[in-house]
Amino acid sequence: MKAGVRGKAGVRVVRLFGLPVLLVLGWWLVSGRSFYLPDPVRVARAFGQTWFSARVFDDVLPSIGRLLAGYALATVLGVGLGVPIGLSPRLRATLEPVLEFFRAIPPPVLVPLLMLLAGIDTPMKVLVIVSGCVWPILLNTVEGVRALDEVLADTCRMYGVHGATRLRRFVLRGASPQIMAGLRQALSIGIILMVISEMFASSSGLGFTIVLFQRQFQIAEMWSGILLLGLIGLTLSLLFRFVERRVLSWYYGAGAARA
Amino acid sequence: MLEIAELRKVYESPNRSVEAIRSLTFSVGAGELVCVVGPSGCGKTTLLRSIAGLLPVSGGQVRVAGVPVTGPPPRMAVVFQEYGRSLFPWMTVRQNVELPLKEKRVPRPRRLELVRESLESVGLTDAADAHPWQLSGGMQQRVAIARAVAYEPQVLLMDEPFAAVDAQTRADLEDLILALWRDLGVTILFVTHDIDEAVYLGQRVIVLSSSPTVIMEDLKIDLPAQRDQLTTRSLPRFGELRGHIYERIQRAREAR
Ligand SMILES: Nc1ncnc2c1ncn2[C@@H]1O[C@H](COP(=O)(O)OP(=O)(O)O)[C@@H](O)[C@H]1O
Ligand SMILES: [Mg+2]
Repeated sequence: MKAGVRGKAGVRVVRLFGLPVLLVLGWWLVSGRSFYLPDPVRVARAFGQTWFSARVFDDVLPSIGRLLAGYALATVLGVGLGVPIGLSPRLRATLEPVLEFFRAIPPPVLVPLLMLLAGIDTPMKVLVIVSGCVWPILLNTVEGVRALDEVLADTCRMYGVHGATRLRRFVLRGASPQIMAGLRQALSIGIILMVISEMFASSSGLGFTIVLFQRQFQIAEMWSGILLLGLIGLTLSLLFRFVERRVLSWYYGAGAARA
Repeated sequence: MLEIAELRKVYESPNRSVEAIRSLTFSVGAGELVCVVGPSGCGKTTLLRSIAGLLPVSGGQVRVAGVPVTGPPPRMAVVFQEYGRSLFPWMTVRQNVELPLKEKRVPRPRRLELVRESLESVGLTDAADAHPWQLSGGMQQRVAIARAVAYEPQVLLMDEPFAAVDAQTRADLEDLILALWRDLGVTILFVTHDIDEAVYLGQRVIVLSSSPTVIMEDLKIDLPAQRDQLTTRSLPRFGELRGHIYERIQRAREAR
């Protein structure tokens, strides 16, 4: 019994760390052959020296701050516009083709334009992130609100549930699975745009720093920056999953009950 | 309490129009329990949604307590045919029952009392903190009923509420409705496709024709007020009444 439990825990540890360990080993084997592919130990050392320093405050935290600010702004915009559009068939018919067009524009091409309009500082970078994140949130919110159950809508009407309560307890809750799907897409787009926005005419930030290392042939440091980005992405997505599990617990429960 | 005068409903869509109800005129007195029975597709749901003010009518008028219906009347509750879908899956049973009361601004102590009493009356006290999807179909149906009861309506509309539950649950729920009706003095319009159920529950049974829908018969059910699944259903008069309705429907079918 006890051995069985321990065995199961062992299997989980292997599952969780098995592949990463293999990848690092593989990396080790191929590293060293090229100047551009330093071995893991050198990258780990560079990681410590580079990122456990003032850079945390000068580059890393400002980058993450801009990402979160842009993401939050995109959420407010996307949900705030998506709800009325989703609720009104006429608004939807008018706006949907236009929205699809804007969504189809790759946000990085907006960087030069936004630089002209908003300069090269923080506002521009946040705007770039917003301009990319807002579309999946908006379109998913529209879709989620449009597909709200009509029996529930009738129930609200019959029992006098209206106004802010209706919005909070019915519309947003009912659309939340779709809204969360949009937020998840937006998160990965946001991380990409955070880096890209810092590669243009910038003097700080994660993206800028990685490009700088590359230009100065500080290859191990460059790799450590890429590693850091991966870790930030992973952390944010784990955080997201944690929040999602809480917000949508009813949804997963109902899904399991139906299956 | 309910006056339906020359009600007509045609669903218009760009390429076709469906005449769901040709013309219906009847009324339901305060405190009455009236069953509407008709084949599926004859417009029972359409009738109910028109009375509830959820559907614009094509002609005629509906009045509730003398007031013409233009939207959902304030003291009316509905138990929908798709009862499972009418419960908020993100709320517990208790929250589902409580939400309409909050919107009605019922003070908290009274609200809690109503929730407790209504859940007790449908036998769901223990399920108060469960989510609807954790319950069986019959239990979900009882949550929908509890929510309607807690709302303290003057008029309760029910759309084929027991069509999708098993026979035993169905019998229990029928008796539950009778008990609630007697205790609350509420006016009930109960829609069903089951003639036996209509005769067992109703003080009156309104028989609808198949589409184009009109009233085929408005029959007073002169069975003893105290009903019981076993004795009432085996009364000779019960058999006569249901036989009468079957015959009417049969003759209408042959006449076409
Ligand atoms: N929204 C709608 N649009 C068009 N036709 C409808 C709509 N709802 C119902 N109908 C039609 O109206 C008729 C009556 O439907 P319904 O009231 O649901 O019948 P019942 O509840 O008695 O089964 C049916 O022929 C149905 O196809
Ligand atoms: Mg129906």
